[in-house]
Formats: sequence, C-alpha cells, structure tokens
Amino acid sequence: MKLKDWILERFPIDFQKFVEINERIFIKEPIPLHMKKWFYCMGATPLILFGFQLVTGILLTFYFVPSPEMAYESVRHITEDVRFGFWIRGIHRWGSNLMIIALLLHMTRVFFTRAYQKPREINWMIGVALFMLTLTFAFTGYSLTYNQLSYWATTVGTNMIREVPLVGEWLFLFLRGGEDVSANTLTRFYTIHIGFLPPILILLIALHILILRIQGVSEPEGYPKGHYSFYPHHFYKIIIATLFLLTLLTTLSVIYPPGLGEPANPAVTPPHIKPEWYFFPVYRFLKLVPLRVGIFSVALFLVGMTFWPFIEPWIAREKRRRIVLGYVVGSLVLISTLALTFWETVEM
Amino acid sequence: MDTVKAQQWLIGIFSVLLIVSLLIVAGVEMKKSRSFKPEIDVNETTAKCINCHEKKGVAVKLIDEWKESQHAVQGIGCLECHEAKEGDFDAFRCPESEFLIGKHPNPNDCAKCHEDQVKEFANSKHAVAQVMMALKGPDRNVFEPTLSTKHGCEQCHNIGNYWPDGAIGECDACHSKHRFSIAQARRPETCGECHIGPDHPHIEIYLESKHGNLYSTFASEWDWNYDPGQPVPFNAPTCATCHMSATSTGQKSTHNVSERLSWESQAPFSVRTQKYWGGLTWQEKQKNMLAVCYQCHSKSFADRYILTADLVNLQYNEIWKATIDWMKRLRKRGVIATTEFAFAGQNITAWPKEGYDEEVEQEAYRNWHHEGRRFRHGAMMMGADYTQWHGIWELQENLVKIIEYGAEHGVPEARAWRNSKDPNKFVKLYPLYDIPGSTWGPSALAFRGNMPMDRLKNYWEVVYQNVKTAYEKGLLTDEQWQLYTKLYENREKEIGRVYELPPIHEEYLQNLRIDLKELYPQQKLQLRKFE
Repeated sequence: MKLKDWILERFPIDFQKFVEINERIFIKEPIPLHMKKWFYCMGATPLILFGFQLVTGILLTFYFVPSPEMAYESVRHITEDVRFGFWIRGIHRWGSNLMIIALLLHMTRVFFTRAYQKPREINWMIGVALFMLTLTFAFTGYSLTYNQLSYWATTVGTNMIREVPLVGEWLFLFLRGGEDVSANTLTRFYTIHIGFLPPILILLIALHILILRIQGVSEPEGYPKGHYSFYPHHFYKIIIATLFLLTLLTTLSVIYPPGLGEPANPAVTPPHIKPEWYFFPVYRFLKLVPLRVGIFSVALFLVGMTFWPFIEPWIAREKRRRIVLGYVVGSLVLISTLALTFWETVEM
Repeated sequence: MDTVKAQQWLIGIFSVLLIVSLLIVAGVEMKKSRSFKPEIDVNETTAKCINCHEKKGVAVKLIDEWKESQHAVQGIGCLECHEAKEGDFDAFRCPESEFLIGKHPNPNDCAKCHEDQVKEFANSKHAVAQVMMALKGPDRNVFEPTLSTKHGCEQCHNIGNYWPDGAIGECDACHSKHRFSIAQARRPETCGECHIGPDHPHIEIYLESKHGNLYSTFASEWDWNYDPGQPVPFNAPTCATCHMSATSTGQKSTHNVSERLSWESQAPFSVRTQKYWGGLTWQEKQKNMLAVCYQCHSKSFADRYILTADLVNLQYNEIWKATIDWMKRLRKRGVIATTEFAFAGQNITAWPKEGYDEEVEQEAYRNWHHEGRRFRHGAMMMGADYTQWHGIWELQENLVKIIEYGAEHGVPEARAWRNSKDPNKFVKLYPLYDIPGSTWGPSALAFRGNMPMDRLKNYWEVVYQNVKTAYEKGLLTDEQWQLYTKLYENREKEIGRVYELPPIHEEYLQNLRIDLKELYPQQKLQLRKFE
C-alpha cells in the first residue's frame, strides 16, 4: 500500500480538491509582472528572517536561563562551550538586526510606491504594528544577555517608558516588575520575548499576508500590466533569498560575532549608556529636546505613520501633489533617521 | 522627471543607503559588544596635553597609565587634577601652552571628588606619619646622617606629608599615579611597601599567617576590582580587608585605618587608642575589628584570640618597663652615660640626646622599635614566628645583654641576677600575664612539663591579679574580663592536664629517646683531619 493511500484512509479528504486549492492559492498565485525585478520582490525577506529567528530562538532556549545570576553565564556558555552555539546566537542576533533593516527597506518601498492607498490602508497599519512588535522583540531580547550594556539599556529604555503619558507609570512597573531592573524584569522580558510576542507576531503576519492575498499585490503605476504564477519563478526567488540570507547571517556572525560584554552590574553605571542602534534615532532625538516634548513628538510621529494612508489624502487632495508630498515626507523621515543614527553612532 | 522615475530613484537610493549605512552601524555596534574596554572620552584640553607630551616624549608612560584608569573612563582629564591658580606653591606655566599647571596634586585636589575618603584619611594615623618622623627623636636627628633618611624613613612617612597649601597626605602612596587603581591599593604588597622590615614586618607577618597562606594560594582567583564599598569577596583577608574594607557583618569601608585599631602598639608603650583617631572609643574600635573576624571565625575563637593578643601587648609593656628600669640602674651606677630624652612629660630612656653611641642603648631601642613591635604585632596578626623568635626571644636576649653589661661593669643587682641559678629568675624579671589554655583548642599535652605554673605555687593567683588590675584600669573590656574569668575558673580543663595522654605517647617518647641517645652514638664517625 502506498503511503498516500494509507494516509487517505485515515484522513479521508478530497485530495484532488486539496491539490486544486493548493494550486489556486499558492502555486498559481498571481504575481504582478513588476515583481520579476529583484528590486520589488523582497517583501518576504522579513518573513524569512523571522523564520530564522524562530528556529534559532527555540534552540537558544535550550540553554538560556533567565535569572540575574545565570543569564550572562548561560549566554557565555552558549557562545563559548555549546557546539555551534556561537553560530546559532550569531544568527539570532544578526537576524534581529537584519530583520529591522529589511522592514525599513520594505516600508520604504511600500511608502514610495504608495501601496498603502485605499483599499490597503489597514494592511499598512498592520505593517506598522509588525514593525513596532519587531522593535519590542529586539528590545526585550537584547536585555536578556544581561551584560552591562544591555542592563543599562534596559534601565534607560524602561525609564523612558515611564514618561509616556497616562499609561507610562503603569507600563513601567509592569515591565520592570517593581521599581528596579531586577530578576522580575528579566523573567518578564523573557516571557514577553518567547511567549507573548511570537504568537501575536505570527497572527499579524498571517493577517498581513491574508489581506495581501485577498486584495492582491498592489501594482505601482508605470509598469506593464499582467501576472505570472507564484511557482516556480517567485518561489525560487524566495529560496535563493533564504539561502543568501543564511550565508549573509553566517558570514556576519563569523566576521562580527556578538560579544558578551561585562556582566551586568547594577552598582556601577557605565559612562556611556546606549540602546541598540535601531533606537538611536529616537534616543538622539530625545537627547536634543526636553524629555516630555520628545516622548510626545515620538508618539505623534507614530500616530502619523500609522494613519498616514488617511492623513495623506486629507492634506493633499490632488493626485500629483499627493505623490510629491509622499516623496518629500518619506525622504525627510529617512534622511533624518539616518542622520540621527549616524550622529549617535559616532557620539561617545 | 516623471513621478515613476522619481519613485524608482528614491527607492533605489534609500535602499542602498539603508542597507549600506545600517549594516555599517550594526557592524560597529556589534564590534563594540565584544569590547571589554570602555571608551575613553578625551576632552579638548586633555587631548592637547597628551598630544604634546607624546610628541616630546615627556612622561608618556604616565599618560598610558592614565588611559587605563577609571579617571580616563569617567572623563577626568589632566587639568581636572593639575590645574593651578596664580600663586599656588606648585604652580608653573606650561612652556608649550597657556596652562598654569599644579605640579603636585595633593589630597586637596582629590577631595574635589573624593571628599569622604580624604576626610577619613585625615583622621587616621596615616595622616600623622610625618609628624611621628619629625619628632626630635635621636634616631633620625642624631644617629643617622640626614641624607640617608631622605630615601629612607621619609619615603614611607611622606604618606602623611604636610603640603604648603595645608593639605595633608599622599593618596598615591597607595593608589599609584596615574592609574589610581583600586585593585593595586587592595593588594597586600602595596601596604608592604612600607609595612616591612625589622621594625614593623607586617607584610612578612601576614605572609607567614594562615591568612597570608590563603592569599598566596588563591589571590590569582580573586576579583581585585570588586565594587567599592561592598564586602570583600575573598576567602581570606588582606591588610585592607581588616583595616579598611566593608564587611558582611555591617562594617562600612573606610580610608581611616584607625577606626579598627584599639591599641597604639607602635609606640614605646602600648596604649589603648583615644577617641580622636577614628572618632570612636577603643572599645568600639575593637568591636569593629572583631566584626571583621566574625565573617569567618566563630565569636568564641575570635574573642579569645584577641584577648590573648591584648595580653601580649600588656606583657610587652612590662618588658619595656623592665628594660628602662635596668637602663636607669646602669646609668645611676655610672656604667652607661645615656641621657634621657624628654617628650610630652615622659623621660624616654631609649632616646638618648647624644644618639645611640652605646651598644646597650641600641639594644634598649630595639626592644621597643624592632623586637617589641614584632612581638606585639606578630601576636595580633597570627605571625607565630614573629611573636616567638623575632619577638620574645630577641626581647629577652636584649634584656639579658643589658643586664650582662651591668654585671660586667660591677652593678651589684645585675651581677646578682646573672649569677643566680634560680630557674625562676626570668619569671621574676617583670610582672607576668597569662591566660589558661590555648585559642587553637585544648591539648592534653601542650602545658605539661616544668612550666612556671609548676614551679611557682601561686602562679595563677598572681597572673589573675595582674589581668584584673589591667581590667580595673580599663585596659580590657567587661566582656573580655568575663571571658578571662570563665577561662580562669575552668583552668584545669583549659590547661588540659585533666585529660589522659593517648597510649601512643609512650611509644613516641621511646622512639625519641632512641633518636637522641642511640642513633647519634651509632652514627658518629671517626674521621681523620690534617695534622
């Protein structure tokens, strides 16, 4: 008896129908012609990277111990003793970095191609939420290494949360599990990082893709109309991208392996406290203006970004003006993001 | 340009920019995550000093030391300590810049940031090290040429330097410039720079002790840079642990080394310390020191150890008194020509104004300044050899030499003492203290044999009375007296004679007899020598 028959006996589904659905939904998913260019087809990159994060993250939990006494030591153990531990950790750490870069690239493309336009506003908003969740992932994950830099970055980061109007104080105490960054904070961050965020992210990714499928990929103007099937062209592109990313992550992990730093010491404040680089724009901006003004501005920016698909037509009614407005706003945001990031990088 | 082209350019440019620049930033940050070395933020002034000094090759190594310091990490540069005002005693105009430089930063400068530490130091006996040296003592002022003392006693006693601007002390005596390392200051070797040699061999005593042994074995595993103010995370004490560091029993760390010293035991007479030094009574200071001991030792052990060591200090006083008395007798009989040196209303016979021109004067001096300190400090710090052979044995030798000199020159009391065959002649030289038994635990054997307590019927009554007198004079605490009384009342057991000797004892004795009486005659060789 063939294996297929054996299974079908136990799961009497209409196999032919299953093949049809599969063909319709995946194999023959209509992909617009402009996506034959590498330039436009990398929206799946963050998803591929998230896949890597999921696998390496699960492997890391085999050894990681979320307690102030053991966190640093277990990260050291993973990095120095466990076979291929440095590689798994390297991919996880670099994966988080690349995931943020990939999201920025994806958002840049989506923004400038104005793919957020009606009727895709909701998917843009889900995308913004995914970006924020990824940053939360990165923030909570970074704190788990429990070295001096991450400990104090966590301290400063949670201090900033305190300044958020209305819910700040509550959120601050909830995240820290008390007044100080302590064992409570570590276990909370760990639970958030491995238990709370992944299902939400997976759910939102599913929703993001579902909406994309229902509405179809947005087709920018100025390209020949028409479609081709997901399989094999786009499918292999994703496979190539996956292999390339794995190679890139491995190379980066070997050339610039993430370090251990000094063990966290709540008694000694290091002279230069910095968050991870993806928070540099916000961190530098907050240093430039009074804290409350800064927090308010950042909150306003986030609201603006989230509701941009509705704000844009409200500001500019005429189509060409709307396009120019998008280009100007997008360019200004990206230039200032890069400038603030560089400023904070070179600043001691 | 049409909007589609513009769109492609914008996406292209920003994609490349984002990928390249953010990968660089991520790479830079990732590299930093591997670095243990903190970044040093050099301000403009400091950069100017460093560049010029390095170019001219002046004190470059000291700059390297500074780069390794916490000062460098915290952004404390050159001028922060070396800045001077016009008219400062050490001000000089840097020939290469407009800066007015203070050549000798001193505790006044350190106090700008380390106020508490400087204050604590100023109230310690370290602060008066130069005062002690600058007294009109005949050792430095008469006996030795001044030149020799510059790189001799002065080098160490400068820890209490009197600076022209009123500052007192020398922080870099322990925290060498320009690294000012906390780890270095914690090392016993740093204290041992000065606390060494025949007059106060503290580092030798320490290394001889079990504490020092543990240090020699485990020091390489210890974290010498543990956080300031935290209890010491070592498995044995160093000098700083006992005299300065915080304890798990509640002691705060201090730069006042006098806060835990209940004896002034470098002086000719051991005296209980006064409240001025460390702002505490001697009883409080003793408690502080015991709090250090209690971290590792049981109360019963530590209290008994310190009580025994306190009695050694009191015993020394009697030996010193006897030394002076014999010197006085010899002078009265015209045998020696020593003159007394008057200081603070006391005539101190070991300080002759003409210098140490007679051998007996040197012996008397050493009975205080060398052997007397070794005896006392050895007993306080578990240095058995320094209490014994470098201590009491040499104290007795010196005393005998002084009496012998008198006997040879016709002093009747000296001659009578020397000619006496009484086995109690030493016991009768000066009043005795004693404590029943041993701190280290009872022994069935240690106190058997022909001991003074066997030869003198009222031995324990007399020593008990002497200890009681010391207690009544306020030189022992109530608690110490209670402990002594308990041991005294239980002395039969403490001395251990009530316990039976183990059966193997006889076997040991038999074999020792063989070692002594049989082996040597058997193994004695008859060899030829040249006629």
